[in-house]
Amino acid sequence: MTTPDFDAWHLPGMSVDEVETLEAGDLVCRYPVPTAELLASTVGRLREAGRALAERPVASIVDVVDTVAQRLSDAGDPLYEEAERLVAAATGYSAAMTRLVLDRMTADWRADRLWELLEAELPDPTVLDGFRPVGEDRRARAYGPELAFHAFAGNVPGVAVSSLVRTLLVKTPSLGKLASRQPVLPVLFARAVHAVDAEVGRALAVTYWPGGSHASGWQVLEAADTVIVYGGDEAVAAYRERTPATTRLVVHGPRFSVGLIARQALAGDPTTVAREVAGAVAAFDQHGCVSPHAVWVEETQAVTAVDFAEALAAALADVEEALPRGRLSPGEASAIQQERATAELKGHAPGRSETRVLSGPGTRWTVIYDAEPAFHPSCLNRLVRVHPVGELDEVIGLLAPVGRLLQSVAVAGPDRLRVRLAHRLARIGATRVTTFPRLPWPRPDWHNDGREPVRELLHWVDIETG
Amino acid sequence: MSAPATGLRTELLQLFHDGADSPLPDAEFEAFALRVFARNFETVPAYRAYCVARGRTPATVDAWTGIPAVPTAAFKELPLRDQTADVERVFRTSGTTRGKQRRGEHHVVDLEVYRASLRATFEAFLLPDGVRPRVVSLMPPADVLSDSSLAFMITEVMTAFGAAGSHAFADAGGLDFTALETALAAVEEGPVLLLGTSAAFLHWLDRLEETGARFVLPAGSRLMDTGGFKGRGRRVEPASLRAAYGQRIGIPEWACVNEYGMTELLSQYYDDTLRRRLRAGSPAAEWRPEGEIAGRTRREMTDSMAADPGRAVGGVVRYKRGPGWLRSVAVDPETLDPLPAGTTGLLRHVDLANLYGVIAVQTEDLGHVDGRGLVVEGRAAGAPTRGCSIAMDLLLSEAP
Repeated sequence: MTTPDFDAWHLPGMSVDEVETLEAGDLVCRYPVPTAELLASTVGRLREAGRALAERPVASIVDVVDTVAQRLSDAGDPLYEEAERLVAAATGYSAAMTRLVLDRMTADWRADRLWELLEAELPDPTVLDGFRPVGEDRRARAYGPELAFHAFAGNVPGVAVSSLVRTLLVKTPSLGKLASRQPVLPVLFARAVHAVDAEVGRALAVTYWPGGSHASGWQVLEAADTVIVYGGDEAVAAYRERTPATTRLVVHGPRFSVGLIARQALAGDPTTVAREVAGAVAAFDQHGCVSPHAVWVEETQAVTAVDFAEALAAALADVEEALPRGRLSPGEASAIQQERATAELKGHAPGRSETRVLSGPGTRWTVIYDAEPAFHPSCLNRLVRVHPVGELDEVIGLLAPVGRLLQSVAVAGPDRLRVRLAHRLARIGATRVTTFPRLPWPRPDWHNDGREPVRELLHWVDIETG
Repeated sequence: MSAPATGLRTELLQLFHDGADSPLPDAEFEAFALRVFARNFETVPAYRAYCVARGRTPATVDAWTGIPAVPTAAFKELPLRDQTADVERVFRTSGTTRGKQRRGEHHVVDLEVYRASLRATFEAFLLPDGVRPRVVSLMPPADVLSDSSLAFMITEVMTAFGAAGSHAFADAGGLDFTALETALAAVEEGPVLLLGTSAAFLHWLDRLEETGARFVLPAGSRLMDTGGFKGRGRRVEPASLRAAYGQRIGIPEWACVNEYGMTELLSQYYDDTLRRRLRAGSPAAEWRPEGEIAGRTRREMTDSMAADPGRAVGGVVRYKRGPGWLRSVAVDPETLDPLPAGTTGLLRHVDLANLYGVIAVQTEDLGHVDGRGLVVEGRAAGAPTRGCSIAMDLLLSEAP
């Protein structure tokens, strides 16, 4: 039995008697058995902590988060080193990718970005601290939920922490259930918050238990007045089923992204756009909901989609040097092998359109050129399809059947084209139309899944006079 | 018959009719494999182009491990078969529980080749003592599930080896537990051979546990199960399943034989336990799974683990063997290069019976191969895709 590397919980003031083991990538973790007593005590302490948190000015909470974010972005800080080591072990990311993800995600938790977020959604963030005038004879104040339960997804590190940060900002205590694949950052964050400011730290409880395996894990949902779920359709359905009808349910379900490349963007040379696409494919090793599965290219005589595929292949080879792809399980590698060989064979089938498979050493990166324009999801880990198209508008029809799962669309081309396409893409379900460089890194105040993640947590109370 | 009557076909059928007991010498297997490869190359256009693109053609390949393998996923996309011949039957994979995902298809040109291969092998591994048992199937017969290669196999086994009273206790509507249990309760003599998927057996065992029923089948009774636990049903370790077979149905652990096959292949692997035991000479009285048998089971477990520590699958290592005309190699997931004997990798199978299809199939199953046979360690794919990024099967079931 290997020595556990990581205790995957932050339950301030609780003593944990019984633990079980979890393997997250290369990390061996311990987690507390979620007995009814443990969870009930945790909820009790969180409620108490919430009463204290409610009296704190939002600016002081921003300062606490900012202090922790500074530590997590300082390469010399032991906390950063710990995060780097543990995240790499759990995700299999290369060292360079781990650092990139940590640096980009922690930037969103710095004070300047937090204020940007609050000001974008609440023009006057002090409505969280007191009643503020709204119009002539009304004042209003915003209140966060009494207790939030978060169920995290395991695809990308950092998203869970952002979720916890948002509930802290609205002065809500939280119980976060970790994803088996990403146990690290929320725990390190919560511990660091507690070290900086115990009063705020007591409002965060983070732990793990295997989904669906412990009845008490479901019962705790009844204690929360807001349940925030990240995950695939099955996970979301399970939470929907078990969350009381009177509880607010905030869902971030399964999503994928794609890219569109206008002929104007290529202007006879595909190299620049190819580099941008490669960067978007490589980020998070393509596991984000913002990661593109496929791109469509408007062909010209000067630059065909095959030319673009070749340029993209060269760009992915370059990116692999600077930002190597992480370690895969045999199953993930196998999926890439199957997809490559199947694409090749399809291309050779009589009556079928041409395919070409361009690939790096081992399974490091893959570009599949497929003359058939229909959308086909990628098995990820840096496998991307390139399709030719006459006009980008044709792609709308191809994506419409899967539109409810579509999130971001990167458009390389003139802005007026982006705007025109944006309306049509919005109609089929996309909530973000962007550029390739921005695709993997949404701004902190983005309308994630079309909503305002801070504002949707709030309820308002009015004072009327006169 | 629609299949071209080539000399190669005749030789292969002769090979199958000679039985699956003895291994084929390396040189003979390789010679056959290269001839089958050459035929596949000539007659399956997409495969030909695939081989040419890789520079691995009959002119350049001289080892069976060098024959280009077709991924199982490709069987969902195009028919990989001899385009000069007609198709006798199309077998389809059982697919996912999500419904719309496309199923893999094996377009079989010549069912006689399948029959000959499966009969010879089944006989060697399940009936080496020459018995003709009453066959009890938990799977619907082939005329009900016409696109299932497993249903075809079971129906063939019933026809070829089944004594009077052989019957399938399932149809399109599902398993008829009552009829099955009534029939088993009424069995007085003669061995029974139970056949079905592990999932179906588990379903039945769960029911037996609820009702508390037990069966004690006559000495010589045996069981064959197959398949993983596809979809969202419960999964149980093979050793636990075998223990349940012993407790509830009275079949000793070594007489529970797991079959490993797939729609894309016409030949199969089996657990070697029953064949080895009966070769060593096991009197009928020793078929009872209690007391001494339990002790023997523990010793078997100890022996296996001593032979190959650290490779436990469900606590016990079970080697599978197949007919001489089926060989496998584990390959590196990153490079697809064949790995040394005993190293775990993705399993690639080379099946001489795929004369009218593609001889080499690359699976997503993890396992290792050495002198003792094949150990299947589980499915490599199905590692859950991470978190809220899209699950492949979800998107596939939505995509047009």
